[in-house]
Amino acid sequence: MNGTAAAIIGQRPAAEGKPGITYRQAGERAVLVEYGEMELDLTLNFFVLAVDKMLSERPLKGLAETAPGFRSILVSYDPLELAADDLLGHLQAVHEDLPAEREMELPSRLIKLPIAFDDSQSRAAVRRYIDSIRPDAPNCEGGTNIDYIVRYNGLSGRDELFGSVLATEHWTAFIGFFPGLPFMFPVDPRHTVVVPKYNPTRTWTAEGTVGLGGPCYAIYPVESPGGYQIFGRTLPVYDLQGRNRVFRENPLLLRPGDRVRFHRVGEDELLGMFEDVRADRYSYQIEEQPFDVGAYLDEAGRLREESAERRRRREEAAARTPVP
Amino acid sequence: MTAMSAEKIIDVLEPGLQSTVQDYPGRPGMMRQGFFPAGAMDHFALRAANLIAGNEQSAAGLEVVLGNIALRFGADATVAVCGAEAELTIDGEPVPLWEGRTVRAGSVLRAGISKGPGFRLYVAVCGGIDVPPLFGSRATYTMGGLGGLDGRPLRKGDRLPIGGDGTGGDGTARPRRFRESSRPAYTRDWEIEAVPGPQAAPDYLTEADMREFFGRTWAVDRNSDRTGIRLESFRFQWARSGGGIAGGHPSNILDNPYPVGAVNLNGDLPVILGPDGPTAGGFVVAATVTHADLWKIGQLRPIGDRLRFRQVTAAQATEREREQRERLSEASLEDA
Repeated sequence: MNGTAAAIIGQRPAAEGKPGITYRQAGERAVLVEYGEMELDLTLNFFVLAVDKMLSERPLKGLAETAPGFRSILVSYDPLELAADDLLGHLQAVHEDLPAEREMELPSRLIKLPIAFDDSQSRAAVRRYIDSIRPDAPNCEGGTNIDYIVRYNGLSGRDELFGSVLATEHWTAFIGFFPGLPFMFPVDPRHTVVVPKYNPTRTWTAEGTVGLGGPCYAIYPVESPGGYQIFGRTLPVYDLQGRNRVFRENPLLLRPGDRVRFHRVGEDELLGMFEDVRADRYSYQIEEQPFDVGAYLDEAGRLREESAERRRRREEAAARTPVP
Repeated sequence: MTAMSAEKIIDVLEPGLQSTVQDYPGRPGMMRQGFFPAGAMDHFALRAANLIAGNEQSAAGLEVVLGNIALRFGADATVAVCGAEAELTIDGEPVPLWEGRTVRAGSVLRAGISKGPGFRLYVAVCGGIDVPPLFGSRATYTMGGLGGLDGRPLRKGDRLPIGGDGTGGDGTARPRRFRESSRPAYTRDWEIEAVPGPQAAPDYLTEADMREFFGRTWAVDRNSDRTGIRLESFRFQWARSGGGIAGGHPSNILDNPYPVGAVNLNGDLPVILGPDGPTAGGFVVAATVTHADLWKIGQLRPIGDRLRFRQVTAAQATEREREQRERLSEASLEDA
């Protein structure tokens, strides 16, 4: 027995417009580097992605791979080639050389995707769940998750929910859980929507389904089980076979730092586009458009009061809504 | 000689419960795209089988859950089987595990159902299984449905191509065995080394919780597979009253990346993430199984096996890996 079971191997306070850091041992082959406190602050993710980029530009022998999360990054290494102390030194140097958050400009792409709300596949998935797993789930009342999301957030109705999804860009914080699955968060804080996950999880979800779990949006890259509340469907975001040109170099449509903006289409139109994607007749709308963190912070500051008001309304509604 | 008789193919006569093509170390480097590495769940047994069969340790072989498999070789080949205790025959003649054999074209290798200890068998063939690599690996990733043979477990009637690497042209190698003194011990009561964290005491769990984690004997749940080994629920005290913004239970955190071998706490239920696990999620990881001991999770029988975690430091874990690399070498081979 080795006395204490502490996993923290280093800490550094917030300073010079940069968040504090906690270095955590994640087995002998990885260090989990965590920024700031556990709060839903997109700025922490901007910082994570800037660190990730700088690490990729400064190769270090024995550093195997980096995987960003929301406010953390897992740095994997070969301890027989690279000593932990040398890795920590490298990470500290990167941190020192990064600019303050406010001065950051991140590489980013704006990707426009169609969405069909309340589509038949999502309804079929909910129906299947009610029939085979849990008939009394409060989040599935009426054969859809949409009314539950509306209720949990104290929204005036479905249109207000759909309006919020359409009104903001969605920031891809990281890819994970499953190949090609984006974890996305609204850039405009006024449009934050929050909902608890399924309990227990669903066994089937259609490819391209859009869901919400906690404050996070996801697009299902393949047909799979899932735990997010589902409310619409978009186009494929992953294709190993590269049937559309967008997937030829990389089977994943999205990467961390991308922003997704949805526009509303009918389900028939979406299904037509789905076929066009497969037949390589569809061109995804992708625009390189760097992201200015300073401008984001200014805008978020201006919207602070309005966001807080919406948050109060949401929390009141959540308090009187049953959890799945 | 007919064309059939010299084909470098393995015919799957009996596929077993869940047999997949696996290599080592799978597909690392793709966590950022949501891919866990896949690869042999017991990396020691596959690497040893490859050494015996004259391959690089990284070569693709078969991972067989529980046994009950029959394979017919289309050409002369040197094969080796390592892993769980099971009755093994070539054309009806009993053969030992951890020992190479050169079989003739048309020979049939059979493994019975393993009664344990151990849960998985690894079949290596000189030249390796030559399915098309995907992102640099032939490993089957069951959760992503990719790699291996069309991303799925083997079926009766499948035909697996044998590669030509390192075979000296005729598909055979000098028959050798893995020294008994170098083989790992299989048991029903496992001790698995793990490093505390990334989310341990004092901020997520209490010191007393960590002592329980490393002190208790855990039963392996039947719902365990390549994505994860589920243990049994235990009421930790927790160092926090709730999950903060991430949710109600103190095991919840904002989604973060998981290391391979992570033991995460899903509420009160510990799960050791296997090679096909999720790359990220919102649960505390109390400890991480060392690479040198990760092979053991491939041999846990989800039908009565028990385990304890033994706490080690990262430095100790690295030393164990150094020793393991030395053990997985020519020095552990002897002529059969």
